[in-house]
Amino acid sequence: MDLIWQGFVEALKLLFGGNADVYQVALRSLWVSTLALAVASLLGVPLGAALALNRFPGRRLAIAVVNTGMGVPPVVVGLVVAMLLARNGPLGALRLLYTPSAMVVAQVLIALPIVAGLASAALQQLDPGYRLQVKALGAGRTRGVALLLREVQVPLLAALMAAFGGVISEVGAVMMVGGNIQGQTQVLTTGIVQQTRAGQYAAAIALSIILLMLVFATNLAMTLIQQRGRHG
Amino acid sequence: MAESPRAGAPLLEGEGLRVRRGGHLVLDVERVTLRSGVTHAVLGPNGAGKSTLLRVLNGLEAADGRLRFAGREVRSQRDRVALRRATAAVFQKPYLLADSVRGNVESGLKLRGLRGEELARRAAVAMELLSIDHLAARSREGLSGGEAQRVSIARALAVEPQVLFLDEPMASLDPPTRRALLSDLEAIFVHRPITVVWVTHDRDEALSVADEVTFLSDGRVIQSGSALQVFARPATAEMADFLGVEAYIEGVVEVDGSGPCRLRLPGGATVVCGDAPSGPALACIYPEDVVLFTRPPDADSTSLRNVVEGRVADIQPVGRLRRVIVACEDFELIAAVTQAALDDLSLSCGDTVVAAFKATAVHVLPRQGHDEEGAGAWV
Repeated sequence: MDLIWQGFVEALKLLFGGNADVYQVALRSLWVSTLALAVASLLGVPLGAALALNRFPGRRLAIAVVNTGMGVPPVVVGLVVAMLLARNGPLGALRLLYTPSAMVVAQVLIALPIVAGLASAALQQLDPGYRLQVKALGAGRTRGVALLLREVQVPLLAALMAAFGGVISEVGAVMMVGGNIQGQTQVLTTGIVQQTRAGQYAAAIALSIILLMLVFATNLAMTLIQQRGRHG
Repeated sequence: MAESPRAGAPLLEGEGLRVRRGGHLVLDVERVTLRSGVTHAVLGPNGAGKSTLLRVLNGLEAADGRLRFAGREVRSQRDRVALRRATAAVFQKPYLLADSVRGNVESGLKLRGLRGEELARRAAVAMELLSIDHLAARSREGLSGGEAQRVSIARALAVEPQVLFLDEPMASLDPPTRRALLSDLEAIFVHRPITVVWVTHDRDEALSVADEVTFLSDGRVIQSGSALQVFARPATAEMADFLGVEAYIEGVVEVDGSGPCRLRLPGGATVVCGDAPSGPALACIYPEDVVLFTRPPDADSTSLRNVVEGRVADIQPVGRLRRVIVACEDFELIAAVTQAALDDLSLSCGDTVVAAFKATAVHVLPRQGHDEEGAGAWV
């Protein structure tokens, strides 16, 4: 118990003492995961909409694949990305392995099925009459989909929150493709693992508190957008 | 009923419109023509294909056959989008967007590229027409069903559509809200040269708004024409039944060049009827055309050509009216009367009563090809 308390006190000192290393790791975590979420949203929302609103052969199989993607362990994603980006792998020439870019790629692949699957489910649950009404209003395909997405903004933003929570708290894939290089690719989760292994509980707790605060702050921001105009 | 002074040239024409779902033909319309400035009611029972026809005519659903709008063929997806932009549709549910009332009314205009003052002006005009200007800043969550449907109609009218499609717009509203909205819409349609397609299964609604009526059953047009003509002379027993006819009399029409047509019943009695070809026939009579007396009326003081005596078999309340079922010797009649009239006549079950109706109230359907199962109140 004493160990935890001491660790907690040390963590507060690190947090509020202006430790540049801690802040650098926190910022790296934030931008890697935010960029990954942005890319996953740009790809996943249209993919989810296409799966929900179109009828084509193999559609059910495609939805099943996306849904399966939501449950793929991040370490498996990390393994695949590491093999693709390895020096002798098919994309080795890009020299991305052990860089933040590789971590973004891995996190995109983790977030993409979550965003696409949940966006597709949200649109499928929408009263089909809305689709008819939006078409009747004179909307073309793109504007129509945009209007429908606005109708499902609550579950859609929940999907983005779930995806963000999934990638920022993920450790296996970023460890494998980023390498946890201090000052270069270390993020909050991999930092926590490293500090814990080294018995540096204060630093580990400090990084954990920052991670929790970041997750809370981003979810609060998205929740405020999600609940805008709703009473209570 | 609205008159048809605005009847104009054909605006939207369909030919051989066919829609199949799951191998089943749900729409099979040989020809349909919507004339400019006319309010068309598409009437029929549930599952008749009314909404499918509306979606096809509005370009919301593709169909086999030919569709022409304002003289141009509607063939491709692009043509259908153009058709939708020239028209507007309101459905049974208002389907308001996640926006304010003003935002909803402006949405169709924005999709047509309108911005600035013109956008605000047209939205304001539409909101005023539907008396919802005081709700402009409200979100959809705070609206009643009637208000929401008014917003939906204002949104449709704001784009000044060449054709306004209404798919059972009153179906989910309570009677007072429905009456108020119906009255406002009748006034709007009288003052604006707009072509309206009004899908409904409510015959009274159709009769109050429509210049022309198309009756659908099993995806096919059974009859099309002026509202008065269709209601007075339904083409089939199924239609007559749907339109409110409750008494049917089977017999043979006898045409005597010197006098009116008569329907001879199997028992030998005759009923004077309107013009009809000779031969086996089925006569139908609306309950509101049957008048009840306690004693036969003076023949010189009435134009009621058919006067028959019977016994009150049953009295059933239907809304504010009472259905009086009169068992005559050769057939049964049904009269719709008010409770006050019933009290005046002091009628109760088992009493003797005199039922009378005009010759023109007897609409004769040729017996050939008639589907006996289709007549719900067969007597």
